[in-house]
Amino acid sequence: MFDIVQKKWVFFGISIVLCLISIVSLIFRGFNLDTDFSGGIALTYEVKGEDFSTEDMSAIVSEALGAGKSASSVQKSGDDVIIKVGYDKDITDEERTEFSNTVRDSITTALEEKFGKAEYDGAAAAEPEEDETAATEPDASAEPAAAATATQAPTTGGNLVSGVRLSSMDDISPSSGRELARSALWMSLLACAAILLYVTFRFEFTSGCVAVLALAHDVLILLGVYSVLQISVNINFIAAVLTVLGYSINNTIVIMDRIRENTRNSRKESYGEIANNSIWQTMTRSINTTITTLLTIGMVFIIGVASIKAFALPIIIGIVIGFFSSVFITGPLWATWRDSAVTAKRAAAGNGKSKSKKK
Amino acid sequence: MSRSLVKFAAIILVIAALLYVGVYGLDFTDKYRIPGITDSDGITQGLDLKGGTVIVFRAATTDPSEEDMDNVVNLLRRRLDFQGYTEASVTMQGSNKVRVEIPDVQDSDTAVETLGATAQLEFKDANGNTIMTGSEVTNASSEYGQTEQGISRSSYYISMEFTPEGQQKFSEATKTAAAAASSNMNYITIEMDGNVLTAPRVHEQIDSDSCIITGEFTADEASALAANIKSGQLPFSLAVDEVKVVSATLGEEALSKAITAGIIGLILVLLFMLLIYRLQGLMADFALMFYVAVVLILLANFHINITLPGIAGIILAIGMAVDANVVIFERVKEELKLGKTVRSAVDAGFNRALSAVIDSNVTTIISAVILWWLGTGTIKGFGITLLMGIVVSMISAIFVTRFLLKQMIGMNVKNTWLYGLNKSDLSSESVKGGKA
Repeated sequence: MFDIVQKKWVFFGISIVLCLISIVSLIFRGFNLDTDFSGGIALTYEVKGEDFSTEDMSAIVSEALGAGKSASSVQKSGDDVIIKVGYDKDITDEERTEFSNTVRDSITTALEEKFGKAEYDGAAAAEPEEDETAATEPDASAEPAAAATATQAPTTGGNLVSGVRLSSMDDISPSSGRELARSALWMSLLACAAILLYVTFRFEFTSGCVAVLALAHDVLILLGVYSVLQISVNINFIAAVLTVLGYSINNTIVIMDRIRENTRNSRKESYGEIANNSIWQTMTRSINTTITTLLTIGMVFIIGVASIKAFALPIIIGIVIGFFSSVFITGPLWATWRDSAVTAKRAAAGNGKSKSKKK
Repeated sequence: MSRSLVKFAAIILVIAALLYVGVYGLDFTDKYRIPGITDSDGITQGLDLKGGTVIVFRAATTDPSEEDMDNVVNLLRRRLDFQGYTEASVTMQGSNKVRVEIPDVQDSDTAVETLGATAQLEFKDANGNTIMTGSEVTNASSEYGQTEQGISRSSYYISMEFTPEGQQKFSEATKTAAAAASSNMNYITIEMDGNVLTAPRVHEQIDSDSCIITGEFTADEASALAANIKSGQLPFSLAVDEVKVVSATLGEEALSKAITAGIIGLILVLLFMLLIYRLQGLMADFALMFYVAVVLILLANFHINITLPGIAGIILAIGMAVDANVVIFERVKEELKLGKTVRSAVDAGFNRALSAVIDSNVTTIISAVILWWLGTGTIKGFGITLLMGIVVSMISAIFVTRFLLKQMIGMNVKNTWLYGLNKSDLSSESVKGGKA
């Protein structure tokens, strides 16, 4: 079994490179944000004469949008279907209207191809349902994007008999997603601080710092992967990151626990040896736990539908990164830190007698 | 031996019974029943799985400022959280509308009414002068119990706490009111959006930092009112623009596929534990079934809102629940390799692994509590699920597994191979490290 602590610079190197790539990508590329964060438009269509499922609708919309884009959600409400599409990243306010119109036109065309153009029964506007329809009509004065719709969507001419009709178009703010991301960030920082306190109290300060650093490392690289690969990020992604934050600490703590125990029992070993022994003694456990976790979440990823895959993927990535950092980074980092503390102390004491003696 | 066997069989039966209750529920009478997850009222499904209600509110004022609209969004968010709709979403639509999506809501009319209410709380004296408003209230909650001495009937009421200024204003007002007893003007009215909630008579000065509002409230009314008082007053009233019932964002197959994935994942973990840890693994498998049963019962009875990510999280937790057992069993194997007897190796393994199990779980509990306590919306719900998973898995891994293993030893099952040890482990000294 080779000495992980001695080869530490290989692992530190991998970590540092991955972190740097992540930071650079987060700064310059950012995320591919979903409607939860970027805002977008909600289109409501009335479809008559033919039944449809939300799955079919999603497929039609994805095809209409092209370029790998898809609706962020498709919901059915009686004969109505509500389709939400997120704005492109970095879109300016002026471009939004154009974007909205392009999206509306392409989806409308695609739906008309599938379900036929709108046909009305020609009844006069006095139908009781007409009031309801009018109520869902967009507020033209308030929304520039929707104003265009109001002129295009027929508001009179009776009830829809067959085909498809756009009944409203609204833009949606990103507020809730951003709010959630902000509060998630604050809570993560608070959680890190609390974990640091707890680990310092139960172990010592060095272990606390190492554990929290490993945690930050895991989350940073996970965010980096999403930024580099431009995988779409929605509210569920926040929950996934929080899952990783909650569980990735476990591996580290089990190793730290063994280090604590071995430090107590040891007389002559260096910190490096203690760390290396502790890592290997807990290795089977680290591997087996990672396997059982990957067995379940992996099944979710393999069998699940697209949106659940999108939730499982960051967790899988996070678990793998978490395994790497717990096993290959935390132990060596702890040993290096303790060694340098001892060296510093010795230097301060003027080559005193504290010859690698543990407390 | 026979006693151990009886205990062992008993706990297996208990686990089987719990599992049955978790899946199918248990009906004592019509009133007292425990729903299982297959019951229709068992699981509260999120907007993505079950659909729900979309309500669009329009500001009943011309040109609301952006700041006011942000306030409205935050207030609605808080009201929904306080009422337990943590999975609901609130977004701004256009410049003067707010879109609220509530999953699986039973009564959309009430939801519309309570959410859109301005919630202007006013305390007035007998002459109609405002004494204080809702801004002087720091906390409000709905409670159930006897509101007056000597009356045995219990009812729902709202309990409020005042700020120091509120306490002073209330104290002065009650003093004035009590003095007006002779003219029969000794009452204070408490109004919500102009409707009188209650108008209690005042007999003496009340210098207290809290008060209660009684009335003929139902449980839902009381909790909605308390939520509105607590979350504060809207800057303007909201008109309902549209209300519609929407389908799930995910199709039918999403849920069934997730459940299939969960069952396959569970079977794989059970097999993995059995293969690697043999007899100990089997005991851990029983403990894992206990964990699954308890989680199902909790999900079905605490009305935790389940979204697809929530289900994925629960399935993930199955894989993580065995972690504590893996830590312990590895430790037991190490002790066996040192040549200890099975009984002392199991004891030592559990004792030595305990600190690792507790410390690693407490750190996760810390994150879960912070998410649950400070989080809003989805994050809050996620925190609860996480917390529940950790606590139950810790109990099952430490207590249930240990109890079962003790019975095994009691039945004289002491072949070390069964405890995960191979022949080669005993002959060659393979334990490295600083142990004597």
